Amino acid sequence: MSAGFSLQQVQAESQRQPALPGWLLLSPLLLWLLLFVIAPAAILLVYSFCRRDALGQVVYDFNLENYKRVFDPIYLRILWRSLFFAGLSTLFCLVIGYPVAYFIGKAAENMRNLLLVLVMIPFWTSFLIRTYAWITILKSEGLLNSLMLSTGLVSLPIEIMYTPAAVIIGLVYAYLPFMILPIYGSVEKLDNALVEAAMDLGAGPLRAFSTVILPLTWPGMVAGALLVFVPALGMFAITDLMGGARVPMVGNVIQNQFLQARDWPFGSALGVTLMTLFILVFWLCSRKLKPLS
Amino acid sequence: MLSLAQPRSKPLLPSGMKMVDLCFGSWTALVFLFLYLPIILLVVFSFNASKLNIIWTGFTWQWYEELYRNAPLVKALKNSLVIASITTFFSVILGTLGAWLLHRYNYPGRRALNTLIFVPMVIPEIIMGISLLIFFTTLHFSLGFTTVIISHITFCFPFVLIAVQARLNGLDPFLEEAAMDLGARPLEAFFQIILPYLMPAIISGALMSFTLSMDEVIVTYFTTSPSSATLPIKVFGMAKVGLNPMLNAISAIFIVATALLVVAAEMLKRWNK
Amino acid sequence: MKPTTLLLAAATVMMAGLIACSKTETAVAPAPAKELNLFAWSEYVPQSIIDGFTAETGIKVNYETYASNEEMLSKLLSGATAYDLVQPSEYTVEALIRANKLSPLDHGKIPNLGNLAPEYTQMPHDPGLKYSVPWMAGTVGIVVNNEKIKEPITGYSDVFNKKYKGRIVVLNDNRELVSWVLDTLGLPVNQITADNLAKAKPILADWVKLVKVFDSDSPKTALLNGDVDLGVVWSGEAAILYKENKKFQYVLPKEGAHRFIDSLCIPAGAPHSGAAHLFISYILRPEVSKLISEDFPYTNPNLEARKLLTPEQLENPASYPKGNAKLETFTDIGTSAADIDKLVTDLKSSN
Repeated sequence: MSAGFSLQQVQAESQRQPALPGWLLLSPLLLWLLLFVIAPAAILLVYSFCRRDALGQVVYDFNLENYKRVFDPIYLRILWRSLFFAGLSTLFCLVIGYPVAYFIGKAAENMRNLLLVLVMIPFWTSFLIRTYAWITILKSEGLLNSLMLSTGLVSLPIEIMYTPAAVIIGLVYAYLPFMILPIYGSVEKLDNALVEAAMDLGAGPLRAFSTVILPLTWPGMVAGALLVFVPALGMFAITDLMGGARVPMVGNVIQNQFLQARDWPFGSALGVTLMTLFILVFWLCSRKLKPLS
Repeated sequence: MLSLAQPRSKPLLPSGMKMVDLCFGSWTALVFLFLYLPIILLVVFSFNASKLNIIWTGFTWQWYEELYRNAPLVKALKNSLVIASITTFFSVILGTLGAWLLHRYNYPGRRALNTLIFVPMVIPEIIMGISLLIFFTTLHFSLGFTTVIISHITFCFPFVLIAVQARLNGLDPFLEEAAMDLGARPLEAFFQIILPYLMPAIISGALMSFTLSMDEVIVTYFTTSPSSATLPIKVFGMAKVGLNPMLNAISAIFIVATALLVVAAEMLKRWNK
Repeated sequence: MKPTTLLLAAATVMMAGLIACSKTETAVAPAPAKELNLFAWSEYVPQSIIDGFTAETGIKVNYETYASNEEMLSKLLSGATAYDLVQPSEYTVEALIRANKLSPLDHGKIPNLGNLAPEYTQMPHDPGLKYSVPWMAGTVGIVVNNEKIKEPITGYSDVFNKKYKGRIVVLNDNRELVSWVLDTLGLPVNQITADNLAKAKPILADWVKLVKVFDSDSPKTALLNGDVDLGVVWSGEAAILYKENKKFQYVLPKEGAHRFIDSLCIPAGAPHSGAAHLFISYILRPEVSKLISEDFPYTNPNLEARKLLTPEQLENPASYPKGNAKLETFTDIGTSAADIDKLVTDLKSSN
């Protein structure tokens, strides 16, 4: 047991105020953030207050028109829909991915890394070709329908391609590894002694799971949820390819502003709004999300 | 109870959990099937006689033969691999270091820093691409490998950082204190005790980073020069004329080679033990 | 720990090696005087042409690609790289000319301009070909799978019929969509006023509900897969479909169709203007232009080259459409592009 120290005391001790070496070591990160994150974001912010000229170039002419447009119901509706799709995909990824992460984390040591790499290998192929493979599976005359028709499960082919269901399938497929890997990181360090202790005290596997394992893997779950939800918000290619580009997501709208419409200021305003929204939510939740020791 | 940071060898399964483990095992198998189904199809279609590669018309080896002679495509794959490897290397360093320092020290504005790290992930790729292009152009930095790698690192390292952070969040503070008490210097404590503990998360982060970099196209487009063109750029460019089965072939060769490499590495490790 | 340290060391050495290799690649190639920076659509310049040009002139071609006019503009206008040749579509050429971003062509260095069909030399975006030379042309029209659809389809109103609901593919191009509606209403396609857009809105709203797939990159996929039966697509896509299976027939809409022309232009301040002129002159040769047609079945504006094409290529209804439907090129509409985008986004997201 601790030699007279409380856990909080020790934690406070170990989280010291940074001295010079602490700042020196952090400087690469700070510099990187400053140069390649803050500076471009600043450019974006400036652009969002500009307007476009005839050729589509940016003209510095301070105005708030772009932000007024952002709060137009059209775009708010699109933003809401994007949040919904990203959230739903994250949920699916969590439910589907957790058992996999747990299994790999609890596997024999020599198998763990192998399994992890095997999870990732499919995603080292080109996104476009993978997605076309999915189209081959899901289309009306595709593998899935052929299988279901031949076994008599259905009498008419089911239309999956170019529907929201296809978009969700595409999103889950694309982001599943980014849920599995962080959860694995949390599961791997689980001390079996704790679980054993819980079982010894009479808890069944379900109870042991919910009261011991899930809370301990909470950091991994949170990390996974963030690593899926956040990129999924800006995703546009899957909507285009799997959804037939029928219903625009915020990613598509922003993409359009920079390409087809050549209205960079408005696109920047949308981008800034998206980032600000996220930063706000994250800032508020970061207290709640921070797991208890 | 003090948990010692020593690698566990055989996992001890409480008997009640065996059922859970079996369920999870079969579920994992199903998920792997889900993950690999399009890949199997991808490999099969690399033998498709149709150049458009949308409908199966017949079996042929021709695309593998043509791939052998297609220097630009192979070079593109090589570029992707080099960029992804270097990106992963630096992302791991930046991410692990960042996560550890943020955990260890109580920097003023720590919450702000933590939030800022998410920005490269939230930013839509096209915005990142264009803003980095403007940034590099303003600084008269010529586009090429360096600019592509810099942009890749920028959106990859947060993934490593967050993965390592998650693992650090459960770190027993007694661990480091114990190491110090035993006379180790902070640097030694880090490398001998903390780093091995973080390894699984670092590997996770590295895998994510490599994957993201391999498949990135939009940001790459805005920061590249012709000599550093990557495979995804070539693939996306071919969408209009039809995704030649040659692309499937190069992907198939790559995955099979990687899978064999990994299995070989594992077998070597077992043999050495 | 030993294996891990070893692995780390190996990785570091490998990294160093890779960095060294990649650095040498970019460093050891000092810019030769004889170079050409070509910035063109991906998969639009056959490698055989590039190789042939280099073999004949000794000029190295740096072929950089883009997938849309707007992507090209973004990179071109940023000034990051000094390009010698770009390949914009007609409305982009017009915008670039107006903004003084193009360098006038020296016709003295391009003797074989006469190979072009006269109709392509006096186009509204660049009459007299002062700044651009047509590369390939095409149209946006209707493709029909006539195994699934037996009724005659002659125009947009035939396509956007309730009985084809969920069986239609169209380009994911907001401006194209609006132009088709304007054609149906008999309004000029380049007159994008708030008034015209208001008139177009209800029709477009109906049409959008009938479409199953919006795809500018590869609409042929949905057609070949049998997920849709007809659509309004690029003529090149339709030509590829026809080559696959003659059941895919191409028809120019009777209300009017967009004719697009992709051209080669020299940006202002191009460092290798001489080489650029040589390249343009090279591709105007009939035997070279023929190579483009072989890989990309668009409409070849080079009359001399057409004489070298096979009867099969010439009878492809998408490459060389028959009939005399009204054909119009797009002009640059400047800020109205944003209005179009807003309208279509609104209609799409109301579904």
